[in-house]
Amino acid sequence: MASIRRTGGEKLWIRYLILGAWALFCITPALWFLSIGLRPRTEIITPQPIYWPTFSLDAWHMLWSDWPMAKYLRNSVAAIFGSVLIDLVLAIPAAYSLARYEYRGRDDIGFYILSTRMMAPAIVAIPIFFLFRNAGLLDTVWALMLIYAAVNLSVVTWIIRSYMLDIPKELEDSARTDGASDLRILWEIIIPAIRPGIITAAVIAMIFAINEFLFTLLIASTPKAYTMSVALANFTGGSDGVIYNAIALVAFLAFIPVFIVVVAIQKHLSRGLTLGAVKG
Amino acid sequence: MARIELEGIQKRWGPVWGVRDVNLDIKDEELVVFLGPSGCGKTTTMRMIAGLEEPTEGTIRMDGELVNDFDARDRDVAMVFQGYALYPNMSIYENIRFPLRMRDVPKAEHEKLVREAAQLVELEDYLDRKPGALSGGQRQRAALARAIVRKPKVFLMDEPLSNLDAKLRHAMRVQIKHLQRQLRITTVYVTHDQIEAMTLADRIVVMDSGLIQQIGTPDEIYSDPANTFVASFIGSPPMNIVSGVIENRTFRSEGIEIPELQIDHSGPTSFGIRPEDCVVARDASRPSHFRGSVYGVEPTGDLTYLTMRAGDKNFEVKTDRSYRADLGAEERIAFDTERMYFFDTESGRRIT
Repeated sequence: MASIRRTGGEKLWIRYLILGAWALFCITPALWFLSIGLRPRTEIITPQPIYWPTFSLDAWHMLWSDWPMAKYLRNSVAAIFGSVLIDLVLAIPAAYSLARYEYRGRDDIGFYILSTRMMAPAIVAIPIFFLFRNAGLLDTVWALMLIYAAVNLSVVTWIIRSYMLDIPKELEDSARTDGASDLRILWEIIIPAIRPGIITAAVIAMIFAINEFLFTLLIASTPKAYTMSVALANFTGGSDGVIYNAIALVAFLAFIPVFIVVVAIQKHLSRGLTLGAVKG
Repeated sequence: MARIELEGIQKRWGPVWGVRDVNLDIKDEELVVFLGPSGCGKTTTMRMIAGLEEPTEGTIRMDGELVNDFDARDRDVAMVFQGYALYPNMSIYENIRFPLRMRDVPKAEHEKLVREAAQLVELEDYLDRKPGALSGGQRQRAALARAIVRKPKVFLMDEPLSNLDAKLRHAMRVQIKHLQRQLRITTVYVTHDQIEAMTLADRIVVMDSGLIQQIGTPDEIYSDPANTFVASFIGSPPMNIVSGVIENRTFRSEGIEIPELQIDHSGPTSFGIRPEDCVVARDASRPSHFRGSVYGVEPTGDLTYLTMRAGDKNFEVKTDRSYRADLGAEERIAFDTERMYFFDTESGRRIT
């Protein structure tokens, strides 16, 4: 008995060691960014290693006084949440239709929706630019909302669909004999039952939207519609040179909300990702 | 309260037949059980009554009104499903209340109706719980309460007890029958369990391959089966059916000889007898009909199952609890000649 327990204990120990090392490896860039962001600019570019860094809020102050950071942040938040909202409003009914109704061409339509994801974004960049220019939407947050929503719609639809397929058909039959209409079934039975799936899909869409760079750069030609990710790029040029500490701080700040959300829902997230991958 | 008439009901999915031809008149307040193996069309027929499937052919009437084009929610039926189908995000109270909300029953009455229904199934103490926090039997009762809360015209129950263990199943069976009598609501009950069918039904509809094999009271189905399918589906262990030949009013098969038959039939015939209508005839002076060797003896306490073997066929006999025999021993069996059944070998149809 004792020897068995000891080998078990050893194994557990090794497991913690490996996982701990991996966690450290993953979190190090974020901590490194934080460390750079909270140091004076001169200290970052010295060639000698520094063991006791000087703490400074220079970068923090600069972000808010020299740059319209608050506006970038507002743009980001509006574009991201707006796009996720658009995605959910469109994807939930679409997913329900794909998961539950029988009609000719249903599977083809499902595939077409997913296939929008298979294209490299650069291929459609130019046409999209003209599309938005002709619609007079260039340089607006609305355009960002629409483009983020369009990019993510297919993934959101498929994740939600896979969750819906998991709901027993009996539940809907039961609601129907209880007297519920299709819309009430969707609203009162299906949506509450797949809430984890909806949250997962929304978070995945959010992460994609936060990281989106190409289309934002294309559509936002002035600071009017800049988001955090494009603002970052601005710190690399201009008369001030590359402002490393500001870049690091913005990157860290952008990382925080995603980190918190992902930790909070990680159980759902892994399920959502694998379900979306495996279910046909 | 409702009478249900099914006329010429067929259901096809492309080339696949679900139900071939069902004609059935279910009387008001009757409890009818659809019995058959899986894939026989019993659930499909029920779903057509519910309005969850559309018949390919035929008409469905409720109280004389043609309801073919009525959606499930307009038919005033309540259904209990095999997997209970409780709404996982709602409390038991909300689950039972759901049909009231959907059918615009005045809000003021909800509380009273829900409590009444919960009381009928002894679930008042669990109304605040979510379905996930209930045991299988409690979930089943919650599903029943949801079905009875709005006093529908028709109850439909699709194998509601098959997920429960044997003891609970018996208790729930009694409760369902009691409730149905108390509420006097026309009920259609689907099962593949012949004990459930026998104990619950006013009438049993035995189905196979999308066709009704026989309609009758449990007594009729048991003692007057229309064909070999019904005969072998009902009873536990099922009826022994042996194929052989009748010549000169004598039936012969391997190990079996039954002389002086009172039927005008000759040629290939199947003979059937229930295990409880056979007696071990150890007294050599008694007449016997069957000779074989003992293949297995299974004491169950109140009686003993004896399996005999002749040639490559097993033959079941119910004997009294004290019966014991060595495997391979020769044994003679006498039949109750009043309770013998003969079937046409080819069609399976009953001759007498």
